Amino acid sequence: MPGVIAITGLRTFLGRRLARRLAAGGRPRIVGIDHVRPHGLPSEIDCHRIDLMAPDAGETLAECFRKESVETVVHLAFRQEPSADLEADHELDAIGSMHVLHAAAAAGVGRVVVESSTRCYGPRPDNPNFLTEQHPLRGHPDDHAMQDRIEVERLLTAWQSRHPDIAVTVLRPCWMLGPEAAHPVARYLARSVVPMLMGYDPLIQLVHEDDVLAVFEQAARMPHPGTFNVVAPGVVPLSVLLRSAGKRVLPVPHPFLHRLREFPSQTLTGDPPAGFYDYLRYLWVADGTRGWAEFGRPLYDTRETWAAFVGARRLRSMP
Amino acid sequence: MSGAPESPDLLESALAAFTGRVRERVGHEAETDELFEWFEQLRRTAGAIGVRERSGEIDDFGMDREYIREAAPILDLLRTRWWRIAVGGTDAIPPEGPVLFVANRSGLLPWDGLMLADEVARRRDGDRPRFLIADWLITLPWVQPSLARLGGVRACRENALRLLQTGRSVIAFPEGAKGATKVYRERYRVQRFGRGGVVRLAADLGVPLVPVAIVGAEEANPILFKVERAVRPFGIPFVPVTPTFPWLGPLGLLPLPAHWRIAFGEPIDPARFGVDAASDEIAVARLNEELRRQIQQQLRVLLRERPNAFG
Repeated sequence: MPGVIAITGLRTFLGRRLARRLAAGGRPRIVGIDHVRPHGLPSEIDCHRIDLMAPDAGETLAECFRKESVETVVHLAFRQEPSADLEADHELDAIGSMHVLHAAAAAGVGRVVVESSTRCYGPRPDNPNFLTEQHPLRGHPDDHAMQDRIEVERLLTAWQSRHPDIAVTVLRPCWMLGPEAAHPVARYLARSVVPMLMGYDPLIQLVHEDDVLAVFEQAARMPHPGTFNVVAPGVVPLSVLLRSAGKRVLPVPHPFLHRLREFPSQTLTGDPPAGFYDYLRYLWVADGTRGWAEFGRPLYDTRETWAAFVGARRLRSMP
Repeated sequence: MSGAPESPDLLESALAAFTGRVRERVGHEAETDELFEWFEQLRRTAGAIGVRERSGEIDDFGMDREYIREAAPILDLLRTRWWRIAVGGTDAIPPEGPVLFVANRSGLLPWDGLMLADEVARRRDGDRPRFLIADWLITLPWVQPSLARLGGVRACRENALRLLQTGRSVIAFPEGAKGATKVYRERYRVQRFGRGGVVRLAADLGVPLVPVAIVGAEEANPILFKVERAVRPFGIPFVPVTPTFPWLGPLGLLPLPAHWRIAFGEPIDPARFGVDAASDEIAVARLNEELRRQIQQQLRVLLRERPNAFG
């Protein structure tokens, strides 16, 4: 009898879909945690309204985990969109994760699955072409979301050494695209004219949303302890991706793009933050071998992921 | 100097190939329409300000076969007319399987790696080894994408390991930055070979090491002296002063038409030297020094054979 699975951040893109997938697979009871109940979820999924930013969130969560006798915690409650309020982002991403981990330990859950990202490695000129899971997480100084995520991973390592009996899975997907994916990078790549850094053309790696969900589902159902990059095979230069979709490329000199860092409208328009452009400058491709061995080969490679993303957008924009 | 680019046939064929491609894109009907052709060319040029249109034939390290095919006439021109490269010891190149080539390094831009990779590819049925490039080249716009397309890979153990493990050959320059930035009067004095990383790598994987001596690249990019103290406060480690740079501006970065000679040495099996994956540091260092000595020796021979750097 599989144990109860709790999903924090039920309203996130992954949270909603993962809950639905797990529920469709039957058997385990799914408990969602978010501060608002999302619309349109199957009724068998219970949602506990807990605000991870509350000072006593750890206690409330532990109470909830204990009452539901939760076996597995899937932690997905991270900020999805860049906001102007970096303090609040930090509060949710880093401190919220701390609460979740403390509650998991207090309630004696068996397994924890945490969403991270290959962006944590950071776009660096001195990266090897393929970053393995052992590579240090160096991030990017302007990518605050990833700075917080690196802090979460650090916290997790320390926490794990105090609770060696809890199996921890850290999943690091790269840029996730697909028919439905909606996040700043997807919006950026969906434009018809895409600004690129003049004179740079890094190899890009993508992963399909279905493949990411499949990996999370496996990690939620069965123990897969360890840290895994969740990426699709194959790399494609950014310019090839864009041109294959018939997009126009607008080359912009990078000192100019970096000037836009403090530009306030960026947070209003939902564009990716300025540090983002370094991800279009240097390599940060991850080695997926370990993840493929554990969870199986993804259905889509980078090109097919891109085709699925572009195709779905094109269909949607048809009159 | 007889080495000027006096090769109308090669240049012409390169130009014809380019025009042919433009025509192909424009379509046969518009072939006579000069204005249209002109527009098309303008559009292409405008598009190339960022990066060139790239083919789909790209491998996991970003090498682009289509791009190399397009660059072939220029590479041939450099090889036959500009540097008049003479190659020796080609019988020593293992006909197949991954090989770790080890060569002496000179010049800021990796012309030596590029030409050596080309020479090997011509003798191994197009099996092109990847040349390892310094970190700072990765930060340069335009330089980095084109080097990656031509087969340049950032020099680090992870990359070399992965390339060799997947059956691809690698050209390493263990001198690293010390070789690339040495001044002209220290030319052909092979610097320390890092910390023995190449030997360790070859021993771990059981891959043969092939020492290669390259003469000519030093004269192609001579650094007369380095301005160091004056530019340090600006975050630049040094500015090289060459006979042409910075006097001629960016044009001064073009390499000079020196005579090149490349000599391949006999492949070294690390195991034959008693070095394997479990060897201690002293054994690795010994073979590392042996490798350096062989290349230095070969350089002396080549320099004696070559009467004049530019003649």
